[in-house]
Amino acid sequence: MDVTLLDRQQATYPLELCASSVPLFQSYLGSGPIVELKRPEAYLSGDGFHEFVYFPVGGGPEFGDSEKLNLVPPDAAPGYCISRTSSCQMTAFHAAAMKEEREDMILEKMESTPGSGSRESFTKRKAEVVAERKSKDKRIKGELEGESEVKTKCSTQVSRNSSKENSKACEVQKPDYIHVRARRGQATDSHSLAERARREKISKKMKCLQDLVPGCNTVTGKAGMLDEIINYVQSLQRQVEFLSMKIAALNSSAEFNVENLPIKELPSYVANFPAAAKLPAMPNLTCFQLNSMQKEAVNCMLNETMHPPLTATEGIASASVSIPEQALSSSTITQLQPFSTWNMDPQGLYNLYNMGFH
Amino acid sequence: MNNPHHLNPTSLKSRFTTRFLRALTKIRAQKPISSSSPTEIFRRYRRIKVAADKSMAYSVRSRRIWSKAMLWKLRSRSYRRQDPCSGRRSGKTNQAIMKKSSNENTTTRREDGVGFVEEADELRQLVPGGETMNLCNLLDETAHYIKCLTTQVQVMKKIADFYSF
Repeated sequence: MDVTLLDRQQATYPLELCASSVPLFQSYLGSGPIVELKRPEAYLSGDGFHEFVYFPVGGGPEFGDSEKLNLVPPDAAPGYCISRTSSCQMTAFHAAAMKEEREDMILEKMESTPGSGSRESFTKRKAEVVAERKSKDKRIKGELEGESEVKTKCSTQVSRNSSKENSKACEVQKPDYIHVRARRGQATDSHSLAERARREKISKKMKCLQDLVPGCNTVTGKAGMLDEIINYVQSLQRQVEFLSMKIAALNSSAEFNVENLPIKELPSYVANFPAAAKLPAMPNLTCFQLNSMQKEAVNCMLNETMHPPLTATEGIASASVSIPEQALSSSTITQLQPFSTWNMDPQGLYNLYNMGFH
Repeated sequence: MNNPHHLNPTSLKSRFTTRFLRALTKIRAQKPISSSSPTEIFRRYRRIKVAADKSMAYSVRSRRIWSKAMLWKLRSRSYRRQDPCSGRRSGKTNQAIMKKSSNENTTTRREDGVGFVEEADELRQLVPGGETMNLCNLLDETAHYIKCLTTQVQVMKKIADFYSF
């Protein structure tokens, strides 16, 4: 009897799965008296188990003779499809019937078997496992109904419902479902699923940031990316400060009259400037005549920069720093020497400084 | 730019530009043109910088956490400058609110399980109002803040170029 049972099992299930399941099922499907059937009750709680056992079994030997190992009571699932999902049911129920430690082992075994059906059924199985894990503390009948519900849906809409069941099982309180598919080799309890969802969101946002920040394609890893982002934000802020200083300097000397230009037209005029505005603003210093005071101010601001050159494409970025008041003292042009280490046309910029300030 | 000849009047760029130019004209109108000592220039620089930040924050309104925080900072600063007594009060309430929210968040803030807390803290200091954000929101806000900063830099560059001719 045992041998035939084993053969039958091996015919329908992967070999590895059978190895662990056989002893349990042997005891469960014991063709002997009812006393043997009591063993599986150690795994399940509640009185419903009796009902459950007796429906299909009606005694051990009868069950053992059946062609397919059908554990689910027939009247518990209207419209219930057996076909190829019987193996699913079997493993699902098997997992539900076991303790949690063994459940993980079985999941591992499921993953290791190459021929364990399509990916959809695989994920569905996992989803069922998760769903069943959640409802393990409920009464057995309730559990069965949940199981059968899951299985009735499975024939048509596998992936969607499995993820829904997943999310429903994990995040019942939240109104919006985070559809997460449990992947191979990953734990399926609610905490790790939520963690994984968050991590995926964060990595998605990091990718968006990567598009915004220029020159971070070379950097890999989140920490490096964050450093790049920090540098870029700092450089942008410094640029704003430098430009406002520049406008302040120009504001006092230039003979423009802003009131003449209509405010509404100016934005479009300003916006329609050619891409020349993309060039570093430093070359423009040669175009206007600064008086000595202004030269000093801009000079001091430039000299504050002792940082190593950044990878920012705007050349001004590494030149501007917020000016402390005491820094507005005279300084010499030779302090601009560090700028020659810039990777942005250093020699040209140095010449411009010389032209602009002498 | 996609369409060089037509400017969307409701875009961030145009909103910021109009506000900033208006502020610039006001600043120019306040002070005489002749003064050009370094300290004077420095004062003007501060004013222009504040105007730039303010224009940007007002263009974004309160749709973003960082703009809200920046507006709050600017307002409390202006109150403090106008009236020291009331400034102290508002400063205290502001500090109390910020401390309370940051305390709440520090107690409830998890490690996020992703392992780069130091960089995240540094980023929080850079982005206005960043202390009260978790990592997810922080990244969103950073993206929007970077976009606004680039717009600001572009417009200011063009203005500077325009005035330098």
